Amino acid sequence: MEVVRGQVEQLPVLLAVSRSALVRDWDSLTLDRALEWTRYFQHLYDRFRARPQLWEALGRRLRRSQPYPLLSFPTLGRCTQLLGLALLENRALPPAACRRLLHNLLPPPSAGTSPAPGFPEVLVRRKAAACLLALSRRPPRRPPVPEPQLQAEAQLLLSRLQEEGQEVGEAAGQVHWLCSVLEQLPQPRAFEVVAAALVLLKQGRGTEQAGDRDREGSSSLDGYQASTAGDECTAGLLFSWLLGNQERFSAFCLYLPYSHLAFLAGHYSQLSRSYLDLLTGWGSHLIYDPLQGRWVKSCIDKAELAWEELRERFICLCQGSTLLKEQTQAALQLLRTQDGDFKVCGLSVWTDLLMEGEAMGHSPGVSQIFGGRSLPFILISGCMPFLSFPIG
Amino acid sequence: MAQDTTVPKLNFEYWLDKAVEWGQATTLESQKDVCLHLPQLQEFLHQLYETIKHLQGSTAAIEQFPLIGQLLGRLCWNPFVIGYDESQKVLMWCLCCLYSSEPQNAVELKANSWVRSLLCHLLCSCKWEGNEVETSTFISALGYTSADYYYHLVKNMVVSLVTELRENQFNGLNIQESVSASHVNAVSIFCVPLITLPDLTPLLETLLLYHGGSSKEILSSEFLEAVNEAVLKKKISLPESAIFSLWLRHLPSLEKATLHLLDRLFSIQLNSLEEVARVIKDSLLPQAASHPAIFRIVNEIFKNALVETEGASEVMTIIQVFTQLFLQAYQNENKQRKFPLKAYFPHHHQPLVRGLVRRPFELPTTYWSQHLKHISDMLKALVEDTNISSLTDLFEIWFLVACFGEWLDIAAEQLLKAAVEPDAVLWLLAFYYCPKNENQQRTETMVEAQAVYNNLMMVFSCADLSVKDLEAAVHRITGIEQCCNQRLTTHLLTNFLLFSAGGHKIAQECICHIAEITDTSKEVYYLLIRTAYRFNNSGEENQRTVKLLNELLEKLTSKV
Repeated sequence: MEVVRGQVEQLPVLLAVSRSALVRDWDSLTLDRALEWTRYFQHLYDRFRARPQLWEALGRRLRRSQPYPLLSFPTLGRCTQLLGLALLENRALPPAACRRLLHNLLPPPSAGTSPAPGFPEVLVRRKAAACLLALSRRPPRRPPVPEPQLQAEAQLLLSRLQEEGQEVGEAAGQVHWLCSVLEQLPQPRAFEVVAAALVLLKQGRGTEQAGDRDREGSSSLDGYQASTAGDECTAGLLFSWLLGNQERFSAFCLYLPYSHLAFLAGHYSQLSRSYLDLLTGWGSHLIYDPLQGRWVKSCIDKAELAWEELRERFICLCQGSTLLKEQTQAALQLLRTQDGDFKVCGLSVWTDLLMEGEAMGHSPGVSQIFGGRSLPFILISGCMPFLSFPIG
Repeated sequence: MAQDTTVPKLNFEYWLDKAVEWGQATTLESQKDVCLHLPQLQEFLHQLYETIKHLQGSTAAIEQFPLIGQLLGRLCWNPFVIGYDESQKVLMWCLCCLYSSEPQNAVELKANSWVRSLLCHLLCSCKWEGNEVETSTFISALGYTSADYYYHLVKNMVVSLVTELRENQFNGLNIQESVSASHVNAVSIFCVPLITLPDLTPLLETLLLYHGGSSKEILSSEFLEAVNEAVLKKKISLPESAIFSLWLRHLPSLEKATLHLLDRLFSIQLNSLEEVARVIKDSLLPQAASHPAIFRIVNEIFKNALVETEGASEVMTIIQVFTQLFLQAYQNENKQRKFPLKAYFPHHHQPLVRGLVRRPFELPTTYWSQHLKHISDMLKALVEDTNISSLTDLFEIWFLVACFGEWLDIAAEQLLKAAVEPDAVLWLLAFYYCPKNENQQRTETMVEAQAVYNNLMMVFSCADLSVKDLEAAVHRITGIEQCCNQRLTTHLLTNFLLFSAGGHKIAQECICHIAEITDTSKEVYYLLIRTAYRFNNSGEENQRTVKLLNELLEKLTSKV
């Protein structure tokens, strides 16, 4: 068993080499040996995947020798494809070795079955299918359902996180890994993927594991199926990334559509809390301009929200689940109270927001009475610290 | 194995022109054209591969087919071609043939690089066109490959389309959200190459069950034909409701399915009706025939087949088994969703239909003769009614009766075993074997049949028989020219040999004698098979009869 563990450590090395210029020196024999290794690893995977302790043990070994990326036990099951495709893309591979590779990947009819039957053809067919089905794509459906490409990326991310969760590593290391992975995407895309992943966690993505399922037999183990606890862990990890950096979180909230955020806030209390805090921060930077009769940003160049946006966001939140609506209104009411509990416009941002909310929800008369910002107000001294309106 | 002989056969220029014309298949016309040519293109690619696979390196291949690079390159960028069946595999084999393990010159080096680019385009990147590098690096960072990505992507797209179509079914009047008919038509065309990809099955099912508002068919005929082909060749498995929907909305598919079934049945050596029943059930046509429209069309096709083969006993037997299976499926249907019998046999006398539809096992055996008399009387009244003048009408009635051949076989059996109301029952058989009566053929047949019958009944209980005792009957079979009588007499005689006290001793001799002189061995063979089938289902108590039956079948199998 120790031998096996030692051998498994070779996989990351093998994969790293296959992506590097070191393959320049490979000939067809070397290639054969490399493919033999992957077949062996594949065999190990098939044998051990129903045995959790071995799974864990080998997984630990894999991580020990880690540069990046982190590999896990299920990677053993995919290594033929990983190696094959990596080598194919690697231009440094000399022709003789490449020819051997092609012969292995795409065995001609005379050669019998390949180690991963169906592998290249089905992939190509699926690519064509994705292209063809995309031709009939219509405008994206109403949120929060993510569009197919985004959903696929999110599903792979979740699967990987779930695999990570099973092989217990320290949380800090995991967040670090998650950061580095998400850095591969441009930030807006990363936000979308994470948002999509959070949506999928709530909607349920089935208990499948990711990866090409053409190999027969499902790889689900009883203990390793996506349980609620596992999902919570995964969500927790995603939030560590999201909430860990204030700038990132604020960029996230600025980027995502309001309704999308409202949906997520409705399902994740960590998010609703942080989001409300963020909105509070933004709202508190608004000042009332009585000449224009509306709330304006205090500093133009900061990445802050305008009043209209703030209002829209709060309205979206109130259109969510009952719990979220109550939470939002409670927060607003608390803020209004802290501000002095005014019931007229123009004095406290929070009052105005609450009134907007009521206007939307209840009698339209309220906004008619106090409506618009055109009504000039006489300032009552000694109230709002953020009203920098000079009193004559 | 001269290479030159294969070159003229390959229509290289034709396919290159086609590939140029299709481009990346962006217009509806080009898409439809590609779909029409996919099978032949695959054939061509196979032949091309066979031609170039012996060549070492790309120089030789390029010498033989200078434009091969253009052709393969263009085809690799056509998603319809790549998505179809095995075309992508063969294309990749061809590409591998053009890869040299030891490039000798600049051309080969260039070819190598070009092959690798194409293969990377097909296998590696996470986007069909453009350079979405970020997605690819992200997927790699997670430790997955494009294989994993596309597995999920296709599944998501299918789910998305299925949901959209299903929602539209219920959305009806909501024009904003509704999916237009041309959109659904386009989707069906895009699916044509992908029909045998298992991931698409939910989408195929949804499309087949999709009914838009218009009365015209929304789905493209290329799609419907292609699905039918795949179903008949067992390349995909769809739920029954989807297949029935396909046959209901596309008549050519139903016709093809029926003819395909007949082909299958003709090509196998029918040794037992169990096998016939299995093949027929497997085709799903009896189950589909619970829809009256499907039943009537299948029935028509069978009728035509019978006419074309001039009443061959195989065809008749097949039709009878089919009808039995149809009845089984019909009776198992949910009571509320059943159509009335009239829907299946609209132009017939309904009491007659009801009589024929009764399965024998539903009645006690003692009642069989009476039931047969009942049928016979109704039939006689119908046929001798002066309104039934045309031959077509007569044929229709005859065909109806013939479909329920189980009762006819039982009639012959009952005549000998139970001998109750023989005249009526005999008339029924006479009608079956000789329906026309313009020159009194049927009447004459009836008279002769009675004579034969009386003859046989006289010696029915004799334990010791010799062939001589049956000489009269045998002579009728071997001697006379009149076909109807020959077949009727054979039927009676065979039953006699099976069920009489002394028949088993001389059965083999008799049958062989008849088989040698006349060409009725097929008739006898199918009669015996049908009897065996009936015995297996209902259980014949007499072991001796069963044994004799099997022996005779064995003997005849070699002759048929």
